[in-house]
Amino acid sequence: MFSLIENEVIKMISKKRLLFVFAILIVLISVFAYGQNQTQERTKAQLTQRMGITATDDWRKLADQQLIDMKNRLDSPYRGENSKASLRVRMEQLQYNLDQNINPLEQSAAKFTTRFMEQSIFLFLPLLIIMLAADMVSGESSSGTIKLLLVRNVPRWKILLSKYLTLIILEVIVLFFAFVLSVVISGIFFGFGGWFAPVATGFKVLAGKLDSTSVLNVPQWNYSLMVYSLAFFVAVVVGSISFMISVLVKSTAASIGIIMSTLVAGNFISFFLSDWKVTRYMFMVNLRLTDYLSGSFQPIEGMNMLFSITVLLGWTIASLIISFVYFTKQDILV
Amino acid sequence: MIKKSMWYSIITIAFLGFIVLSIGFYQAIYATTKVTPQPSVITEIPETTGDLTKLPTKNSNSFQVLLLGDSVAKGTGDEKAKGFTGYLPEVFKNITSKEIVINNAAVDGLESLALLEQLQSRRLDKIIADSDFILVSIGGNDVRGILSLNSLAKDDEFKVRQDGYLSSLKQALLHLRTTSPNSTVIFVGLYNPYAKATSAEDTRLLNTWNYNTQQLVEEDGNSIFIPTYDLLKYNLGRYIAQDGLHPNSAGYQALSNRISKSVETILSTT
Repeated sequence: MFSLIENEVIKMISKKRLLFVFAILIVLISVFAYGQNQTQERTKAQLTQRMGITATDDWRKLADQQLIDMKNRLDSPYRGENSKASLRVRMEQLQYNLDQNINPLEQSAAKFTTRFMEQSIFLFLPLLIIMLAADMVSGESSSGTIKLLLVRNVPRWKILLSKYLTLIILEVIVLFFAFVLSVVISGIFFGFGGWFAPVATGFKVLAGKLDSTSVLNVPQWNYSLMVYSLAFFVAVVVGSISFMISVLVKSTAASIGIIMSTLVAGNFISFFLSDWKVTRYMFMVNLRLTDYLSGSFQPIEGMNMLFSITVLLGWTIASLIISFVYFTKQDILV
Repeated sequence: MIKKSMWYSIITIAFLGFIVLSIGFYQAIYATTKVTPQPSVITEIPETTGDLTKLPTKNSNSFQVLLLGDSVAKGTGDEKAKGFTGYLPEVFKNITSKEIVINNAAVDGLESLALLEQLQSRRLDKIIADSDFILVSIGGNDVRGILSLNSLAKDDEFKVRQDGYLSSLKQALLHLRTTSPNSTVIFVGLYNPYAKATSAEDTRLLNTWNYNTQQLVEEDGNSIFIPTYDLLKYNLGRYIAQDGLHPNSAGYQALSNRISKSVETILSTT
């Protein structure tokens, strides 16, 4: 079994496809980092124009001012507990910025790395995974090498399982490199710090409304870890589904086409989310898991982290079952 | 050989990465789904109403001033954390010997519709009835959103916003008047904090907004519209706080001075 996986991994490495994925990552991260850098400059310029030079240089005064205001707001009896929790969290963040002398307008490698994955989790990352997964089985069929695999004295399910485990290993590798590359590249632009800055998380949906009573701050490194873990989960889900399609369809081009169009269609379908209830059981609209962490999702009744993860798990298990049953039962003409 | 070492490094990274990611995944689920006991929500509401009814009741030796509306009424931006709450008693003291009692019920970021809802919840009715002066500052948050629109959408959106705002304000003022027939309502007009980056078109819209507000406020004989646009126009550097939006300490003082001058006679005769 172990040697089967080793064989598959080495096959993937020599196919150069992994190198393509890394090249795409490097190019895109560089472009994003440069873009973020530009946006930051422009925001600063705008603030300066609007409020005089003070806004960017004297940010400490501004932050002090905001802290006082928020303290006053906290003391107000006219505010609900809901907004108080998020106020407290924002005060903690500001206080941290003041203590550590970090201008909140400045980017950091930690912020960028997290944001990059938050942005890519629903389309970019799945596409990279599809590049790897979509020809794992269909590639063997179209090049005919599947015969060489199957004539060996190994049960079919073992062969498929080794391919699937290889895919999971590659998913970890892709995420690992996405992380390392984005830290290194954005570090060059923004400096390597920011890993201990507090980030707010812990939002919930209660009765169709965003509930922030239990919001709390976690250090940035921990937050990034959570984001990348969710991204890994998404990668496994998308990987499993494209793996299934790759088992079902003989041609690589067709399998990439099918899964990619499904993903892109998912972005349109999410528009109907609120009034067309069936759509929420599709995997494409549940991919934005990190939005639950940051509280930036549109609160929709019945949709929360657990729901999305259950739906995604359901899809994963279903596609695995289909892949294994189909692969062991089908006739392959030798 | 290279392939062999690559395979070993890949399997190590994958194995460690898998463990770390699983921990992170567990944390992420825990952070978003854990249930925290939250009895505070239920206890909070009776507490606030209790606070309000316990406030000093009306007596003839004091002036009660109620501050209603958005962050400007609240005093946001004052580096000394005084705002109208601090400065109005200071300037009123020069005119009258009576005690000045300030109740601040303003909420940051309030829009006109939310003000109307706040009033219609009837929690403030007792204070409103006891107040001699009711200072209202509202509308800044209503109008701020349209600044960023392009000029084609702006005119229409402005009309829509203004209509909504005026009808909410009308009902709010009516509520104040029926609850407290003899109080003086002081409405603080809008100023333009972004003088450096505002087109002539924006200025025209802001003036229209202020004009219509003034018309509405002064339909009632016992209400006064205090303009602030003129006072701050050339003094933004001096009167606007670091956040570039709210008045600072000096700004609140200047506004308080202006208000006290306007109601001087009412203060000294009653």
